[in-house]
Amino acid sequence: MQLAPGDPLLNQMGSTGVAGQSSQTREAFLIQKRDLKLDKPLILNFNYFRDYTEPVHIAAHYASMTDEQIVAELPALADAKPGSPEAARRLFLKRLDIEGFDRRLADSDHGYRLAKAINCYVGIYCEDTGVHGVSSAMAILDADSMDLQQKVGAIRCLNRMVVDPFVYTYSRYPTNEETRAIVSAWSTWWKRAEPTFAKLDLGRREALEARFEALVAETSRGKLFAGMEDFDRDDMRFFAEKLLGDSTLRQKVVASLGLRLYIGKPLLIDVPRDADARLVREVMENWFAYFEPRQNEYVPDIPTKLWAVVADTQYAYMVKRLATFNFGRSALKTREPVSDKIVAAVIVSAPLMFMASIAIYLIAVPLGIICAVNRGKWIDRFISLSLFLLYSIPPFVAGMLFLLFFCYGSYFKWFPMLGLHSEGAESFGFLHYLTDYLWHAFLPVICLSLFSLAGMAMYARTSMLDVIGQDYIRTARAKGVPESKVIMKHGLRNALIPIITLFSGFLPAMLGGSVLVEFLFGIPGMGQLSWLSIEQKDFPTLMALIYIDAIVVMVSILLTDLMYVFVDPRISFESQG
Amino acid sequence: MINSESYFDIVWRQFKKNRFAFVSLWILAPLFLMAIFAPAIASNQPFVFYDGDEVLFPWFRSLFNPSEPVDFSFNMAMIGFFPCLLVLLVLNYKWKRNGIAGRRRLLRAGALYIAITIVLCVAFSFDAIRPKNRYLARTFTEEQFRSNNLNYGIYSPIPFGPREQDLGAVFEGPGYIKPEALQKGSNDGFPHILGTDNTGRDVLVQMIYGTRISLTVGFVAVAIYLAIGVILGAVAGYFGGMVDITVCRIIEIVMLFPSFFLILTLVALIGPSIYIIMVVIGITGWPGIARLIRGEVLKQRSIDYVAAARALGTSHGRVIFRHILPNAISPALVSAPFGIAGAIITEAGLSLLGFGVRPPTPSWGTLLRLGNSNYSYWWLIVMPALAMFMTVTIFNLVGSGLRDAMDPKLRV
Repeated sequence: MQLAPGDPLLNQMGSTGVAGQSSQTREAFLIQKRDLKLDKPLILNFNYFRDYTEPVHIAAHYASMTDEQIVAELPALADAKPGSPEAARRLFLKRLDIEGFDRRLADSDHGYRLAKAINCYVGIYCEDTGVHGVSSAMAILDADSMDLQQKVGAIRCLNRMVVDPFVYTYSRYPTNEETRAIVSAWSTWWKRAEPTFAKLDLGRREALEARFEALVAETSRGKLFAGMEDFDRDDMRFFAEKLLGDSTLRQKVVASLGLRLYIGKPLLIDVPRDADARLVREVMENWFAYFEPRQNEYVPDIPTKLWAVVADTQYAYMVKRLATFNFGRSALKTREPVSDKIVAAVIVSAPLMFMASIAIYLIAVPLGIICAVNRGKWIDRFISLSLFLLYSIPPFVAGMLFLLFFCYGSYFKWFPMLGLHSEGAESFGFLHYLTDYLWHAFLPVICLSLFSLAGMAMYARTSMLDVIGQDYIRTARAKGVPESKVIMKHGLRNALIPIITLFSGFLPAMLGGSVLVEFLFGIPGMGQLSWLSIEQKDFPTLMALIYIDAIVVMVSILLTDLMYVFVDPRISFESQG
Repeated sequence: MINSESYFDIVWRQFKKNRFAFVSLWILAPLFLMAIFAPAIASNQPFVFYDGDEVLFPWFRSLFNPSEPVDFSFNMAMIGFFPCLLVLLVLNYKWKRNGIAGRRRLLRAGALYIAITIVLCVAFSFDAIRPKNRYLARTFTEEQFRSNNLNYGIYSPIPFGPREQDLGAVFEGPGYIKPEALQKGSNDGFPHILGTDNTGRDVLVQMIYGTRISLTVGFVAVAIYLAIGVILGAVAGYFGGMVDITVCRIIEIVMLFPSFFLILTLVALIGPSIYIIMVVIGITGWPGIARLIRGEVLKQRSIDYVAAARALGTSHGRVIFRHILPNAISPALVSAPFGIAGAIITEAGLSLLGFGVRPPTPSWGTLLRLGNSNYSYWWLIVMPALAMFMTVTIFNLVGSGLRDAMDPKLRV
């Protein structure tokens, strides 16, 4: 079962090596864990009321040790007296659910592997503790009584607890929300680093202004990076002022990018295990700079804590995401916003489905009427039988046969195999582009419509037969209305009522696309998106797709009910009871 | 004398009038026989094999050791077929003398056959009883063949197995016969009637064995969702109130999700295997049935016979399942053949996407998937497509025949 994908790192840390196989990389898993808040409790979150001082102390203890040091400590853990610090550590490690911990602890052969496992599990414990442990870890940094080793461990823990404490650049698709974090990070750095940058003279400043404006206007990402070359280090003063001063989002994006390219390590946040006191102090200062303004977040007041019991949970975050239609970013490496992906796919699918639906209605309804009018004659039998055979061909089988006979080229090569546009279609004129598109879309549309066409025509036939058997048709005929008028005016208008309400299937189909047909014809629409997101385990996209589909179905069911009332005056919501 | 023709007799009489549907019902029988007797039609294990000093019966032993549980149960059905037929001939004579109606005799015969198959499946699933297959995959060089002609076997009509790979005959077209110089096994001289696939497995044999998978998926999935739908729908319609509201909301929630997408997601998450597919189709397909049954039960509930049954002290369960359901179940039964066709299509579609049956197991969908990877090999597309089209048409025809027969409006 891969319903809840496990941590790939932990899977390798079992007593026998690779205990479970996971198709995910550690990075993908982490991104997903953070995006979907999988480290939070499911429904109720009491973690704010817990005291994390002791576990964080122990975690920091282990985080500062190398594997060899842990191995050396293992015998002491194995025969720890109750009440001693070793016993507390042992209890802590036991609670981490390391596979076969007691057995491996007793067996000295497993020492090295167990130490590796402990290291991993402690790191993951820090990740899962997240915000709750930060204040305890900061307390270790703050306390004078702690030795250097403890502080190194605490810093290493903090690095696992806090994801990217300082954000230096905007993401691929910049938004205004990111500005605050970026500006605060760079201003922390600027306060410290400003004296090391020379003042800029006026001429240089003007030249920079011109270049900067050109970069801001640049739309191609590649050219933007190319234009960033050969600045001077001292020019960073200009960039910093631009970023920290009053500027637009685009200017901030370019300025932060420039700073990031020329400043290698703005703020150190991590230390090696054997760091010296000077380095530790510098890193500690950075962490204090990070922690001070956010103290209220990490040590919240009582009402916030109480609110967090229900609001800071996986479930609450999911409901929030769904309610605000904020689907986040894809779990793939591109980290594209899910909504962009879906919009791009809908734009491809919707016209195809629209054409298919039009084809279905335009062909099926007349066929059904012809059958109903000539009930029992050879033409009815012929059409009914061929419709029935059509109904039995699954769309994807029809698609494969089309591809084989009309596209591949061993029989005919009338239509293209893949895609919706020829190569270089962007440069075509409008008419050429349109014909090219229609040429590509022809077979997929046929495939999409064949199956429903048969069903719809059969439905139209039954519905028309029902109407023709009614008394008022007989009355119309009896009073001498010409047959064509009887059918077209008296019959058709009433027979259309149930058919029009079949429209409810129309909207979901337009949005949902068809997985198999789009897979066969290589069309990057909704169907292919859903298939790909399933195959690539892109859960945020998948959830968004299912959610949107469900909502669309719900809306179209409502529309159908309303349409019934609108189309058929005999039905109304009030007349009940 | 009262006309004692029962409802099902009327339906049957009406059904027989529909020529297409009636013929399809008779085409179904060979389809089932083909699925049941697949090893007798095609197997790479010889019936009798003489290797110079010992006579072996590898085919018979291989029946008990297939690599797929579906194959095992079908093999047991094959072994039980003739004994069951014999017993039934005797019993039929006895039942006839006791004046039991034809329809009832047919039902009893079917039940007996299924029971015998299940007993055999359970009995031979114990390793101690199961005959072991000592016959190893033997291949012979041409010289061995010529010099020692005592090595020979008697094969089934098509001497290829569904998983028997032959890397010397990859992607060969229909009618391919291995040149005599290349023949290694004693079954190599037979033509591959519908060609071979990417690992040299015979396409016709795979299609014959694929029938087993398709029919199993169709029937089991529909049985699962009929059971869920009928029980939930009947309970909701009969008890009404909160039960009804709860069930209806569940139905609406499940119906909101596009079915193929939902099935695809579940299968991809849980793991691709036919058993998972059957269960997933089963647990996603029931809302329609439940709605139909609920409506029918609501109609039946207010009729006097229900009140009479209750007044006699009959329990709720008995009223629902013995009194109401027989009168309410027909719309659900009508949708069963369509459901089977749909399940077969869904399974093939999943296999085409790579989320279905895993490659060594033969199925129509995996053949289509191979065909989709390269359109040069037309037989990998046309043949399974035809098989699927035929099967789906047959089930649809039976379904529409049943629908027309049960529809009182169309009755003459």
